[in-house]
Amino acid sequence: MSAQERRPEEDGRDFADAMWSIPSYLLAGMIIYGGIGWLLDRWLDMSAFFPIGTVLGLVLAGYLAYRKFSR
Amino acid sequence: MSVLAEVSGNVTAIGYGLAAIGPGIGVGIIFGQGVQAIARQPEAYGLIRQNMLLGFVLTEALALIGLVAPFLFANL
Amino acid sequence: MITLTAPAHGDEFSAPTPNELFDLAPIIPGVEWFTKPVLLAVLSAVIVIGLTWAAFSKPKLVPRGVQNVVEYGYMFVRDQVARPFLGKDADRFMGLLLTLFFLVLVWNLMGVVPIAQFPVASHIAFPAVLALSIYVLKIYLGFKHQGVGGYFKNMMFPPGLPKPIYLLLSPIEFLSNMIIAPFTHAVRLFANMFAGHMLLAFFSMVGFWFLFEKLTPLGAPVGVIGVVMTIIFTGFEIFIQFLQAFLFAMLASMYIGGSLHAEH
Repeated sequence: MSAQERRPEEDGRDFADAMWSIPSYLLAGMIIYGGIGWLLDRWLDMSAFFPIGTVLGLVLAGYLAYRKFSR
Repeated sequence: MSVLAEVSGNVTAIGYGLAAIGPGIGVGIIFGQGVQAIARQPEAYGLIRQNMLLGFVLTEALALIGLVAPFLFANL
Repeated sequence: MITLTAPAHGDEFSAPTPNELFDLAPIIPGVEWFTKPVLLAVLSAVIVIGLTWAAFSKPKLVPRGVQNVVEYGYMFVRDQVARPFLGKDADRFMGLLLTLFFLVLVWNLMGVVPIAQFPVASHIAFPAVLALSIYVLKIYLGFKHQGVGGYFKNMMFPPGLPKPIYLLLSPIEFLSNMIIAPFTHAVRLFANMFAGHMLLAFFSMVGFWFLFEKLTPLGAPVGVIGVVMTIIFTGFEIFIQFLQAFLFAMLASMYIGGSLHAEH
């Protein structure tokens, strides 16, 4: 939208910022929701929540990264 | 039949190695083509950047799924 | 050659294991902590201090000799590392970033210097300490410039998302910024140096084994391939070592920049 007014250095900085943050976001989402799923599995003696939580965490973290860095 | 070759150690490590090939190629293609697109049309920077991010997020997610797949399928 | 001489393996070729490559005996018997990486780390620090001292103790307006080279490095760090991420605060942090860059670069280059041939950063303790100090500095600067509450608020609640979603996304932000980021900061440098050293050791071992230890007509071509690959990968390693030093300094400057200015 405002790509015209922004200086190229700022664009480069934001882009580098996004590229370095995205892997840690995805990893964090996977760890948190996968971890919750794993705990639920242990508690309820099931094996379904760990994969669901992992994928859900990845999706949420991807959504967060996409919304945060693409303007 | 006699055994000709065998793999010792943890097989899941090999599994992750194989699973990382695809995302590696994918990330390379995304950034290669993305940089090329920006070089061709610098005025479309915002749009190209947005799509590069989306592609990168999805590809990186695949690589990370490969990382947990050994745990998922451990008891199958 | 000290690290790469083949230990007794019996008759068959076997690849070097991490234990024989990285678990080194103390240099002076009895002094447990004083191993080769420690010696090289101290030596690198002395080299960096000496180099910058020689370059900038009596600076001349028209740079010559050492000053020319180190000034080139300074310009590189300022233009590629500090200014893009810190903007007008770049000069305040140049001392830190230049030290980081040169120290990590010399640490890494120790991996290809003959006789030394051990990248210091391939023991995780060394990059971990650097990353930890940057982490403490990041949090301190964040508290100082944005306030304790403001720092966490800016970090965990990025603007422009629907309200109920914050409940799901704030934990991800927190974990990624406070734990994963410093962890990957250290591990990226460590893993690159570790893998590079393993690779070089493996190929030179192939060359050494098939050309010197067990020279057979069938094995000689394999040994030649090993030697050629060692040469190619040494060049590649020098590039990786430079790149990792640059990335380490760049990420440090990125974290500092993120603490100085609240995001958007």
